[in-house]
Amino acid sequence: MKIMGKATKFAAVTAIAALALTGCGRQDANTDAGAESSAAGFDQGATIGVALPQKTSENWVLAENLFNKDLKDAGFKADVQFANGGVAEQQNQINAMITKGAKVIIVGAIDGKQLGNQLKAAKEAGATIIAYDRLLLNTKDVDYYVAYDNFKVGQLQGQALLDGLKEKKGNGPYSIELLAGSPDDANAKVFFDGAMDVLQPKIDDGTLKVGSGQKTFEQAVTQGWKAENAQKRMDTILTGNYSGSKKLDGILSPNDTLARAALTSVKAAGKETPIVTGQDSEVESVKSIMKGVQYSTINKDTRALVEHATSMVKDLQQGKELEVNDTESYDNGVKTVPAYLLEPQIVTKANVKEAYVNDPVLGPITK
Amino acid sequence: MQTPPTGHQSPLILEMRSITKEFPGVKALADVNLAVRAGEIHAICGENGAGKSTLMKVLSGVYPHGTYTGDIYFQGAVQSFRDINASEQAGIVIIHQELALIPELSIMENIFLGNEPTRFGIIDWAAARVRAMELLARVGLADSPDTPIKEIGVGKQQLVEIAKALNKSVKLLILDEPTAALNESDSQHLLDLIRGLKGKGITSIMISHKLNEIEQVADSITILRDGESIETLDVANDGVNEDRIIKGMVGRTLESRFPDHTPQIGEKFFEVNHWNVAHPQIPDRMVCKDSSFFVRRGEIVGFAGLMGAGRTELARSIFGRSYGKFVSGTITLNGQDIVLRNVAQAIDAGLGYVTEDRKTLGLNLLDDIKATTVAANLKEISPRSIVDRNREFEVAEHYRKTLRTKTPSVEEGVNKLSGGNQQKVVLAKWMFTQPDLLILDEPTRGIDVGAKFEIYGIIQELANQGKGVIVISSELPELLGLSDRIYTIFEGAVTGVVDKSEATPEHLMRLMTSSRVPA
Amino acid sequence: MNAIKQLFGGNTRQFGMIFALVALVVFFQIMTEGVTLTSGNLMNLLNGNAYILILAIGMVLVIIAGHIDLSVGSIAAFVGITVALAIRDWDLPWWAGVLLGLALGAVIGAWQGFWVAYIGIPAFIVTLAGMMLFRGLNQFVGKSNTIPVPEDFQYLGAGYLPEIGPNTGYNNLTVLLGLATVALVVTMGLRGRAKAARLGAVVAPMWVQATKLALISAAILYATYLFATGRPGTSLPIPGIILIGLVLFYGFISSRTVIGRHIYAVGGNRHAAELSGVRSKKVNFMVMMNMAILAGLAGMIFVGRSTASGPSDGMMWELDAIAAVFIGGAAVTGGVGTVVGSIIGGLVMAVLNNGLQLLGVGADATQIIKGLVLLAAVAFDVYNKSQGKPSITGMLSRGLLTKNKPQAEAVEAAEDKIPTRA
Repeated sequence: MKIMGKATKFAAVTAIAALALTGCGRQDANTDAGAESSAAGFDQGATIGVALPQKTSENWVLAENLFNKDLKDAGFKADVQFANGGVAEQQNQINAMITKGAKVIIVGAIDGKQLGNQLKAAKEAGATIIAYDRLLLNTKDVDYYVAYDNFKVGQLQGQALLDGLKEKKGNGPYSIELLAGSPDDANAKVFFDGAMDVLQPKIDDGTLKVGSGQKTFEQAVTQGWKAENAQKRMDTILTGNYSGSKKLDGILSPNDTLARAALTSVKAAGKETPIVTGQDSEVESVKSIMKGVQYSTINKDTRALVEHATSMVKDLQQGKELEVNDTESYDNGVKTVPAYLLEPQIVTKANVKEAYVNDPVLGPITK
Repeated sequence: MQTPPTGHQSPLILEMRSITKEFPGVKALADVNLAVRAGEIHAICGENGAGKSTLMKVLSGVYPHGTYTGDIYFQGAVQSFRDINASEQAGIVIIHQELALIPELSIMENIFLGNEPTRFGIIDWAAARVRAMELLARVGLADSPDTPIKEIGVGKQQLVEIAKALNKSVKLLILDEPTAALNESDSQHLLDLIRGLKGKGITSIMISHKLNEIEQVADSITILRDGESIETLDVANDGVNEDRIIKGMVGRTLESRFPDHTPQIGEKFFEVNHWNVAHPQIPDRMVCKDSSFFVRRGEIVGFAGLMGAGRTELARSIFGRSYGKFVSGTITLNGQDIVLRNVAQAIDAGLGYVTEDRKTLGLNLLDDIKATTVAANLKEISPRSIVDRNREFEVAEHYRKTLRTKTPSVEEGVNKLSGGNQQKVVLAKWMFTQPDLLILDEPTRGIDVGAKFEIYGIIQELANQGKGVIVISSELPELLGLSDRIYTIFEGAVTGVVDKSEATPEHLMRLMTSSRVPA
Repeated sequence: MNAIKQLFGGNTRQFGMIFALVALVVFFQIMTEGVTLTSGNLMNLLNGNAYILILAIGMVLVIIAGHIDLSVGSIAAFVGITVALAIRDWDLPWWAGVLLGLALGAVIGAWQGFWVAYIGIPAFIVTLAGMMLFRGLNQFVGKSNTIPVPEDFQYLGAGYLPEIGPNTGYNNLTVLLGLATVALVVTMGLRGRAKAARLGAVVAPMWVQATKLALISAAILYATYLFATGRPGTSLPIPGIILIGLVLFYGFISSRTVIGRHIYAVGGNRHAAELSGVRSKKVNFMVMMNMAILAGLAGMIFVGRSTASGPSDGMMWELDAIAAVFIGGAAVTGGVGTVVGSIIGGLVMAVLNNGLQLLGVGADATQIIKGLVLLAAVAFDVYNKSQGKPSITGMLSRGLLTKNKPQAEAVEAAEDKIPTRA
């Protein structure tokens, strides 16, 4: 600016003034921005954005199909996107949803801490943000959280591991190994903490022994929730710590994909099948439970979760107050996010038939 | 095998009639006719850009049928080659100037590349070996068929190419500048071989700039000029000599192969003493052995030596140690001892070096003329490290005019220029560095007669300006015609120095082939 | 027809790549019913791709010099996490964080440049090692956590110019920037023409030059209008300004300075360059170092945009940047490529991505389409070269970099008449 002479400065000011007079500049502020849309409601045919993470498990694929179907059935225009390319792609997808005028954006974040600016833009454009399954962190621009109670999931997994060991592996002490989820997924730590809430006392009193000594979350993580990473880590642990006739009695696994990876690794090492926990009720794992290989999974019925998320959208559309059942637990670092939590259910061979009796996919398998 | 008749009585094996080949915007060949008799050696002469290579590419199917007009009759039948395989099928094999051999593979593997003898789909190496030995014997190559190509010299590689062609039961062999990269004795061997093949009924077409060779081996000569066929000479009957060929090529007689020049030789200003340099990879092999020489102002000094004698190594090691590992020796410039650790220092000190191999060492073929012209002295036109493109244009224009470079503009890519014009651009690049001493390594290799004459003129003009010029050349007539003094080099050592007045080819050749320095 | 030919330098293919970009924009503008060319979407486009485009600037120089850099994504992630931690734990102000990031980038670049230039290990291998090394360091330093950065640092990746002066209904600074750019382009265009004419070069007729400048000005003004009339509080985004600054700077460096010439020379023919006095080792070192500094910058901009640095930041960025460079006409063998071309290549990919997202096409199909576009663009280039026609690259570099130098047109017209001498 310094180099601009007086004359040019004058010219510039004149030019802007002239432009201003033509009146084709931007519309004055706050026509629709910033308004709390939940109070006002919106068009029935509005666009609803659903930003999901990478397609890494069956559950997300199922969620995609359900969202597409349920939202369309309710008369909305659904825009469901997977961000296989990572956080950067998810950011761009949310931006595109804003551009398309989405009224509600349901976000299953890859990394809940890295979407702050996009969520802010979405709020400014008047959208309501619902965090789906994974909490959005360090931002004030999130309105609701809908998920299964993940700490509870962890506790159930820990308990299932203990029950399984008692049931099948005789008396302790037992040697176990721990697997955790991806460090960039906020839920991974919650699952792990929940499980350790149950397991830690037993480790302390010597009932459980972690053979590799890798007891912390950082040691147990599985980057990107990838089966290959879990399998490689198990391979290494088995070679390093379970040579010869040493037995591995149990593995805490945060989900089914990793559970099966761990089982593959154990089988390759020629060891007896340990007690392995899981989560997500994936088809392959449910079959495995039926056969008595994998010990447990968690039934977090995706249908119920998507159904509830859709009903939230419908309520928002009509301007109704949303139902929440936890207004205290979910502090995201900036605010406490009102949450609606669904109750998870532990599934073992004992209750597998009852658990999936109404499930169109798993029902027939478990009959 | 019966020796077929040669010369005029024998029937035509090849006839190309009214060949016209156009590239977007230009006619490369206009109504060219070529008639080759069975069993003869037919030379094609012409300046660079006259259309020789294009014509051969049409013949061998590199430019497929349909991309040109006119007809090709080979062995009495009209041919329409789709690609080079089709022409090889018919018995026409072309050996390009840049050899198509794979350095890492052995002689045998190269001979059978793309044409491997197989049994049940598996290469039958035993049969291949027997056949390879046969072929190598025919071309007079004594090396083991298992020797990797990279370990034999260019001359022998050329023979391998011919063996490869013989394996394809060739009837018509096309050789594009076969001796361009060869030294005298390898050239002679190759020419003898071609003559021998003629005795076995193989017809050859040979493209060459070396008119003395053509005069020596060719039965007839077709001359191309500017994309047109000018005339076909019968060597035996028309009394053809070099001057006659040159007249056809350039459309006039060259009074002399060298411009008139009276040397104005000044004081000694550049001196190298006891120069020792080791091979870059093999430390105990010396490429320069205790070499000493000097250059005076206004003097053109020749470096004579056979290929591999160490002339280029000597020049490049002086030019900022750009070759080999320096061991010992001194450089004195204007009475001061100087040390040149890298090329930039050498350029700053006033040295210039025009490389022997334009395409791989001398030019960035992606550049245009103006960028090339200023490449070695960018700072001259770049105040505060920013290239003044108007100055660049002016400088390039200046040299285009003074050196008479044939190009529509200095923004033309150097890859589009003929060899002679490329060399002028390289000369311009080094002239722009304002050197006191310019070293020219094979300055006229692959350049046609007309351009050679011009380049000699430029070299003499540089000397007239008081610069010292070193010319390295494999062509003795060139050195004899151009130099004021000639150093001979053999196996890395300077073996003698001869004044122009005393120099004869025989004398030089003796010095070039003996390590004894005569008194 | 003749008029069009003259306008585009005797050859309508000259702007092939730009036409492709414009066609793509028009296509999506129609398909998305006008959503593509809106203020908000253009800002998204810039914000969401600035860091890839910045990488492409460094990458094209690396590729021109005949190398490749596979480590940029990991370097970006490592610099990002280090800066985020430093700001959090040492209470650094944002600008000190940026300086630290650039310095760290320089150190990493020096490390890689040392192996490539002075030890002579192929860049492919050095940077493949770097890709693993710096990814691991990112996760080691950050303990695989996501570290947030403060608001003022976020300005770097998600900020806008302030609203100053009277309320005109526009973002005043954006308007001023736009007008200044137009003034600059017109003056430089006319002065270049005058100078070339003085030197005796053939210049295109005045109307050609005028139309050309008018078209460029119109495009700049339209973009200015869109950026100045977004939501209040928005403008030309900060990452966009950084990007434009870098494009101008590196465009100038690569085409107009001694070091730029040396990069092309080393990539085109290293031996010839060395024998002309170019220190190729120094050039290689600097190119690798520069790339790492830009990678650090890109990483920080992304962290600003994401409000936090995470353990998988920068995954696959190297491939996006390399794709942009090759779509933009660079050659795998080195010596060929332009900064502007690479930016256009990157924009083609960005517009494609954005348009497909707006249309709600899934990530899987988007990948397929992008892969095919990359292949098609390079295949088209290769085909053209094999036909002896000038490549898109050649056309681009001449068309764009000499746009204020009209004699280029005359030359190219003449060029068509020269045969490829055999």
